[in-house]
Amino acid sequence: MNAIETAPAASMQLISGNHACALGAIAAGCRFFAGYPITPSSEIAERLSRGLPEVDGVFVQMEDEIASIAAVIGASMGGVKAMTATSGPGFSLKQENLGYAAGAEIPCVIVNVMRGGPSTGMPTRPAQGDIMQARWGSHGDYPIIALAPASVREIYTETIRAFDLSETLRTPVVLLYDQVIAQLTETVELGDAGARGRAAAAERKWASGPRESYRPYAVDEDGIPAMSRPGAGYRVHTTGLNHAEDGFPTQNPEAVARNLGRLLAKFERHRDLIDSWQALACEDAEVVIVSIGISARAAIRAVAMCRARGVRAGLFRPVTLWPFPQAALREATAGARAVLVPELNAGQLSLEVQRILGDRPVDAIHRYNGEPITPAEIAERASSLIDTTGAGSAKAPGVRRAR
Amino acid sequence: MSATTMLDSAAEFDVRDYLRAEMMPHFLCPGCGHGIALRALLWAVHELAIDKDRLAVVSGIGCAGRLSAYIDASTFHVTHGRPIAYATGLALARPDLHVIVITGDGDCLAIGGNHLIHACRRNLKLTCLMLNNEVYGMTGGQVSPTTSETRVTSTTPLGNSEPHFNACALAAAAGAGFVGREVTHHVPKLKELIKAGLAHPGFAFVEVMTDCTEIFGRKNEMGSSAEMVLRQKSELRPSAYRDTVDMPFAAKDLPTGILARNDRPEYGEAYRRAAVAIKSAADNPAAGRKSRQ
Amino acid sequence: MRDATDDAAVRAVDSATVRQPTNVLIVGVGGQGVIMISKALAWLAQSQGFEVKQSEVHGMAKRGGAVFSHVRFGPEVWSPTIPKGEVDILVALEWAEGLRWLPYLKPDTGIFICDTKRIVPPFACLNRHPGAPLRYSRETPAEVRAHVLEAYAIDATRMAEELGNDRAANVVLLGAVSTAMDFPVADWERAVTEFVPKKTIAVNLKAFGLGRGWIDDARRGTPAALEAEPVFATPRAPADTPYNVRLEITPGWCKSCDICVKLCPERCLQLNSERIVELAIPEACTGCRLCEWLCPDFAIRVHLDSVQDMVAAQAGARQ
Repeated sequence: MNAIETAPAASMQLISGNHACALGAIAAGCRFFAGYPITPSSEIAERLSRGLPEVDGVFVQMEDEIASIAAVIGASMGGVKAMTATSGPGFSLKQENLGYAAGAEIPCVIVNVMRGGPSTGMPTRPAQGDIMQARWGSHGDYPIIALAPASVREIYTETIRAFDLSETLRTPVVLLYDQVIAQLTETVELGDAGARGRAAAAERKWASGPRESYRPYAVDEDGIPAMSRPGAGYRVHTTGLNHAEDGFPTQNPEAVARNLGRLLAKFERHRDLIDSWQALACEDAEVVIVSIGISARAAIRAVAMCRARGVRAGLFRPVTLWPFPQAALREATAGARAVLVPELNAGQLSLEVQRILGDRPVDAIHRYNGEPITPAEIAERASSLIDTTGAGSAKAPGVRRAR
Repeated sequence: MSATTMLDSAAEFDVRDYLRAEMMPHFLCPGCGHGIALRALLWAVHELAIDKDRLAVVSGIGCAGRLSAYIDASTFHVTHGRPIAYATGLALARPDLHVIVITGDGDCLAIGGNHLIHACRRNLKLTCLMLNNEVYGMTGGQVSPTTSETRVTSTTPLGNSEPHFNACALAAAAGAGFVGREVTHHVPKLKELIKAGLAHPGFAFVEVMTDCTEIFGRKNEMGSSAEMVLRQKSELRPSAYRDTVDMPFAAKDLPTGILARNDRPEYGEAYRRAAVAIKSAADNPAAGRKSRQ
Repeated sequence: MRDATDDAAVRAVDSATVRQPTNVLIVGVGGQGVIMISKALAWLAQSQGFEVKQSEVHGMAKRGGAVFSHVRFGPEVWSPTIPKGEVDILVALEWAEGLRWLPYLKPDTGIFICDTKRIVPPFACLNRHPGAPLRYSRETPAEVRAHVLEAYAIDATRMAEELGNDRAANVVLLGAVSTAMDFPVADWERAVTEFVPKKTIAVNLKAFGLGRGWIDDARRGTPAALEAEPVFATPRAPADTPYNVRLEITPGWCKSCDICVKLCPERCLQLNSERIVELAIPEACTGCRLCEWLCPDFAIRVHLDSVQDMVAAQAGARQ
């Protein structure tokens, strides 16, 4: 089970996932948090209400979910690293402003601790139903990054990475994990990770040079425009309207295409920075399990169970969920006869996996009753895929649904 | 201010020093009162000698929301209804900036109403300039939360039958540190009111009654732009303002000037004071409550 | 004030020996409380056993217009109004209003008590040229004192402001008036208490005492009282400096809304054939800036060039 946790016990801490998230944020340089109470993410806010003032940061509990993300983007526009945390219903409310941050390219981190849905759903039960919302929740075309940690320690390191990516690439980053990991208390060792996080804390690319030659959304080599801080003398305009390189609204088709084109392509040049995944025993696997979060943790055990009964199983776990590390997935599943996606929803990750793998057979376990999927269930299904497909080439069963 | 110093200020203040020339002329309709309100705001900024580099203007969506683009400052044109929330984050993160919100009646009172009342309650130093033209102009003249009764709009073809908000009474009741209202007709007075709001240490709410001449005025047969400006003198609108909660609002049909004021603690200051206490407790855990893991 | 040692006040109101009524004229501007102190005085006089007549003119103008009130009391009073030259005590709550009524004062014995508060009425601003002299009285208190036997210019409004309620200025003046009549102080205070709003009794009693004390000081010639006399600000008058009004119009910004054309007080603007604003009657323009302020499109900038500026500009153009 602890394949993810490989750190030696130097200075061990017993903390929850949400607590680790708060610690990671502060280590990453987050100095502003605005939030609204919602189960199961509230502990992040509670931790930061005390942790931020200790490092001269600001915590504010806003009047609603929308105000929270708005204040976070506002603080970030002021040049301060900022974060909010929520759960499904709140994440839905934040979508319009998430689109604003993506379009105007304002760095910020949004933690979404997934719970059962739709609507109020099951606040204290785990789910993985916001995978697609994290990617497509706001209107229009925009790029976004979503990270999906699967352990307390990884929540810590991925929170740091979320800030680093957000600042470096000028984009909102969604940290997506489920209720189980959020409220799971684990023994973790953060010393190294924390130090690494601080040392590597990324800085935004700030505007320099004379005001006259500064173009707020200039297309330059790395596709990431330099940002200006209010008070630094640039006096620029930031808008959610489609804008030209000068930052002012435009409806000129060429200007819009140029800026939006750059925006939509900007992650492609930085995939080495963004992509992150764990491929466990995939080299010789005949069945590859693709999963995230708590389901992936069950899958690790399932891989061991399969191997014990002679079924060569492997696990592909995208840590960066969006943009999906598709090249790595293709490589990890290249030799497999079957692919299995266990997830706590009615079919979201499996859709993306099927899209990437094209005609290859992709099976799935979909559960949305508030209970996690057990290792035994995964192992049984994975084994059955190999049994039913026999020794020859796998036929395409398509996505089969449990329950 | 005496007559002579006002003349000096008027001679010295050239609004173009505060405008982005490359964005002019602005996109507002002919005769739109928002332009007059913008001048008064910039005049007040000038008289208070606020450094343009320290000035941040956050605006929402709608005709009023577009004004920020014309101001030579750090300007943020954000989502519908949310400028106060964005400004709250900006002002808390950057207390060195002078943050002004420009919003309209729909932006501020309908979709953004929750943010307004909580900003009033929180009392963070911000100046919120709400331009009230009684209508959603940009979307084609629909009824707004401040449209007077009986007025005709695109969505009240037979006249509005909903009662309207008295924004100043609302802000005062929610605890805003400074509440004022003025019409655009008297520009120096409006400038003085905005100046007082900008100088106020807490949350300042300033409502400016402006004219939507092209859409609202036309639908309600209120005459030319000039006639609408003159109407501000003769026919104070809307008459039902008298019906509201608090005595400062009972005296006249449309009271103007500073309508409410209090000196409750400013939120940013109060927060930073509390933060010092948290910090010293963290540095000295024996003295305070347990604060660190 | 030169005659401060004279007991003019007592002489004026020696009601036991003179059958002539005592005539008090109280004047001011609407909203200052002329009527209130008149009624207090009338009530007090009646309570002292006199016949009283009080007549007032108000409401001709709304708030801000001239208000005056005649209070006459004595063993018998016939006419409700005071003839010219018969006023024993002229009490003015506003400086120019006080001067306006000076001819009503008894030439030899009349006492003039006047607030130096200046409320400039709109009709004193008819000339809209910047810096043009106001048509408001220019007489200084010193000049007035040279013509009136016993005159007191008292900054009652400021004194009331310092008490925290500028609306108590009228009662400061009532305190000053009280020194000219030999009614007991306790009765005066009863009158004040009777007529002021309940919530403001304390501040008004203080105001009454201040006014009364100020006159006593002035009679004794206390320097503080004299120094407290306000210096009237005289507007710097570019009216003496010839200037030229120049309208800088940005045609590309003008949207032909016609606000400036219709609201110009001199009607000197028009829209040209391209419906862009222009200055049609330059000689009529006073440079009042209304067009600049009300232009929603920032298309008008008013420049007031002094002759020197113009000469310098022309010299610059030649070079």
